[in-house]
Amino acid sequence: MHIPDGFLAANTWLPAWLISAGSLGYCIKKASRMLQDRIIPLMGIMSAFIFAAQMINFPVIGGTSGHLFGGVLVSVLLGPYAGAIVLSCVLIFQCLLFQDGGLLALGANIFNMAIIGTIGGYIIFRTAQKIMDKKKGFFIASAIAAWLSVVLAAACCALELAVSGVSPLRVVLPAMVGIHALIGIGEAIITVAVLSFVQKVRPDLIYCETPISKAQRNC
Amino acid sequence: MNHSFIDEHSHIDSFLNRLDARTKIISFFTLILFIILSRPDAYFGFALYTLLLIILIIFSQIPLSYILKRCLVVLPFILMTSALLPFGQQGESIVLMKVGDMSIRVAAAGWLIFKGVLIKGVLSIICLTLLTASTPFSELLAALEALKCPKIITMILSFMYRYVFLIEDEAMKMRRAMKSRSAGHSRWLQLKAIANMIGVLFIRSYERGETVYLAMCSRGFDGTIKRDHSFDFKKTDYAFATNLFVILIGIKFLDNIFGR
Repeated sequence: MHIPDGFLAANTWLPAWLISAGSLGYCIKKASRMLQDRIIPLMGIMSAFIFAAQMINFPVIGGTSGHLFGGVLVSVLLGPYAGAIVLSCVLIFQCLLFQDGGLLALGANIFNMAIIGTIGGYIIFRTAQKIMDKKKGFFIASAIAAWLSVVLAAACCALELAVSGVSPLRVVLPAMVGIHALIGIGEAIITVAVLSFVQKVRPDLIYCETPISKAQRNC
Repeated sequence: MNHSFIDEHSHIDSFLNRLDARTKIISFFTLILFIILSRPDAYFGFALYTLLLIILIIFSQIPLSYILKRCLVVLPFILMTSALLPFGQQGESIVLMKVGDMSIRVAAAGWLIFKGVLIKGVLSIICLTLLTASTPFSELLAALEALKCPKIITMILSFMYRYVFLIEDEAMKMRRAMKSRSAGHSRWLQLKAIANMIGVLFIRSYERGETVYLAMCSRGFDGTIKRDHSFDFKKTDYAFATNLFVILIGIKFLDNIFGR
């Protein structure tokens, strides 16, 4: 889903850069209020963790394998603002050092994955959790949010390609959403499995309210 | 364990490596901008940009095989993203391929965009590779900071760079241990084991983050990292930047005359 340079026209990557930079600035302000000066080492190591976790392939349907995207996982574990910072740093790192995603397209990539995928995913998670409000709600909500976050990020990517005029929307949108609807299933399963593990072992590390930690926290 | 270290060639003593990192960032950013903003069928211009990049690679003394290897790693992703582009465009179609009686037809407009996007993508990847391969990462971050990138982002990135190989190592070790023990397990069990592995990795990383923070505090960390890196624009920096800019304008001009 990383868009390389050359795919987006200036009418897309320029606004995407501005929106991403603005939202990221807001996230940094919010997150540094919560974490104070812990933010630098903690976010740095968490970014390294997500980067390493994205490298781990797992088997999906058929002979294919997928890898974690981690937007919802990180936003449930660390909160939406910190999650968006972590995902953005991972994207900047991948762009600068592995040329995965372009420099001018970086704004669009941050918008798709860190803003829509992570903060959007978190909003979906919170809404779903509130609606269900049962013991299983936490996991069902994270599964839905994880699947939707991947699909929504793919839809945004398709929209950007269409606005740039490289491919008509009626071709690129169904294709992108269709592929990522499958990828999203793997993402949902792995997100729920990781969350259930962390919830069993160290529930105090999870930012959001879990079935075990009913203690009210600022979530 | 095996890592693909990225700035392994950044300590070569060559013309491009000696340049100020800020000069390099601005120059390569401009170069990418020029490549991106050219028409999709500006083949003459693309050829000149390729020539320019080859000259830059020679100046940098980075082995060509290294740059090509890095491009090959990313190329499948570009192809995957661009595979859709030839289809669905309106207008007259051209025959792409003939297999017996069947022929695959794509719209001419879509095929043009596809080729243009592919060339632009590869050229900008070479630019980025050249930039990051010729600059040590710490210097790159210091330069980004000097160019008004938020300090908090560069500090997080410098931390990330410090710990990413360590954590990746841990992940690889766990993966190897898991593979050696769970051979022949069903897919579902494997998935569960991988999820637990990621969970363990998260907890260990988080705890490491806390420990590192406490260690930093006890050494007098006050929320900022001080860098002892100072920049100075040299004459060669000015010369390189202005020359590159003139060349880029020249390429644009030549392409407008001869490329049509």
